[in-house]
Amino acid sequence: MVEAKNLCMRYEKGGRYALEDLNFYIDRGEFVFFVGSSGAGKSTILKLIIREIKPTNGILKIFGRDVGRLPRHRLPYLRRNIGMVFQDFRLMEERTAFDNVAFAMVVTGSSRRDIRKRVPHVLGLVGLHDKARTRVCDLSGGEQQRVGLARAIANRPAMIIADEPTGNLDPGTTLDIMNLLRNINLRGTTVLVATHNREVVDRFKKRVLYLEDGKLVGDEQKGIYAHVH
Amino acid sequence: MPMFISGFFYIIAETFKGLYRNRWMCITSTGVVMVTLLMLGLFMLVNLNISHITETVKEQVEIVLYIDDNADQETLDELGQKLSMHSGIAEVRYFSSDEHMGRLHRQLGEILEGYDSGLDNPLLASYEIRTNRPEAVVAMAEEFESYPGVSNVFYGQGYVENLFAVTGVIQMVGLALMAGLSVTAVFLISHTIKLTVMMRKREISIMKYVGATNWFIRWPYVLEGLLMGFVGAVLPLVGLYYIYEFSAEWVEVNNLVFLTLLPVQQIISELAKYLVPLGTGLGILGSIFSMGRFLRV
Repeated sequence: MVEAKNLCMRYEKGGRYALEDLNFYIDRGEFVFFVGSSGAGKSTILKLIIREIKPTNGILKIFGRDVGRLPRHRLPYLRRNIGMVFQDFRLMEERTAFDNVAFAMVVTGSSRRDIRKRVPHVLGLVGLHDKARTRVCDLSGGEQQRVGLARAIANRPAMIIADEPTGNLDPGTTLDIMNLLRNINLRGTTVLVATHNREVVDRFKKRVLYLEDGKLVGDEQKGIYAHVH
Repeated sequence: MPMFISGFFYIIAETFKGLYRNRWMCITSTGVVMVTLLMLGLFMLVNLNISHITETVKEQVEIVLYIDDNADQETLDELGQKLSMHSGIAEVRYFSSDEHMGRLHRQLGEILEGYDSGLDNPLLASYEIRTNRPEAVVAMAEEFESYPGVSNVFYGQGYVENLFAVTGVIQMVGLALMAGLSVTAVFLISHTIKLTVMMRKREISIMKYVGATNWFIRWPYVLEGLLMGFVGAVLPLVGLYYIYEFSAEWVEVNNLVFLTLLPVQQIISELAKYLVPLGTGLGILGSIFSMGRFLRV
């Protein structure tokens, strides 16, 4: 599902490598943590997966296609198969939870009937069935991230990527959000999470890819965060 | 419901929601379009009328060709024929010396009462000529001077050259100012719309992340730009209509008969042909160009 071969990324010509010679393979249905300190390259990998940036060298295949060679007009169709969750939620704050989730379905061309049926369902899955008509700005941080999750799964993507999804949340809410991600993964969706939250990584005991200064320094099944240092 | 219809309704709904949500920015953008096009429109009103008035004055420029007293009938016939065949002449009228005297009597009335009609009439017979192209008056007058049987040619020497020089300058300055105002309008409008789009860059980046195509994102903004540009063009037209109507009435009331203004309907429809496409076009292009940077996510 995700395959990196000699993957390199440099933001500036002549500058230091944000990612250097990365090789890994992530299979369908896996739950993977990308861990490492700030600047290790976790977010860069996620940006490369959604082709927000292009690799400097090497190959990154998503769903069997080299994203570096993907024409710009095909990007929306790649992204429709990847649900994204962000640390800062990236929601339209003046709109309701329903609108935010429906929005992801409208842009992919879903019919109004499908949207009316699917949105309450996914909001129910994240425990927000009673907050559908509440504006996002009136929700708590944890609830906002749930809306973000609901939006990410609305189009039944094959993969969810989450960049520090619990970075702005308290420990209790963090656990809720991670449990939701695990439940999504149990339904067959591949989940990739970039984090430096030690507790989360240690508690969930999933595959961990360790990054340090842009290099992949470890790859463990049921890994724990302590191995980074 | 088919997918594209759902998308169509979404785009239409988003356009109006976007206008409502960003109403103050939209009002500002529309205001900028309005003020700029109002200025442009006002200038066009003045310029079109100056052109109209100068054209009217030019049309009134005539060449008077005085006939030599001593010319024989054959020369006069030839002259008459030559003039009637001349391609540059729109209209030619002959006035005998008696007709001139009659005209003089009518104009001066009592002053000429003592003048005995039994005396020799000193006035020369003439041809009064209106040319096809008023600008060619000077060259044609020079040509007529060489015709046999012509004693003298008069076309308002000095005045006509000045008139053409002045109107030429006015038109050039007018065109330059209109071009300058159009460029200013493009600059102001695209920057204002850019500001509107910048305020919504977060929304645009979210759309990109959830897999919206560039055109799906653009459409509501393009329609917003179109509506703002259209309203920004139509409102100044309404204002210009009343300003012009008031001015035309003022000219009429004050008996400024030398100012022959264009009719209000004609001039406003002329302005609409220019301002409405300009306003809507600017709105659309402003939206598309302002979004470019934000779509590269």
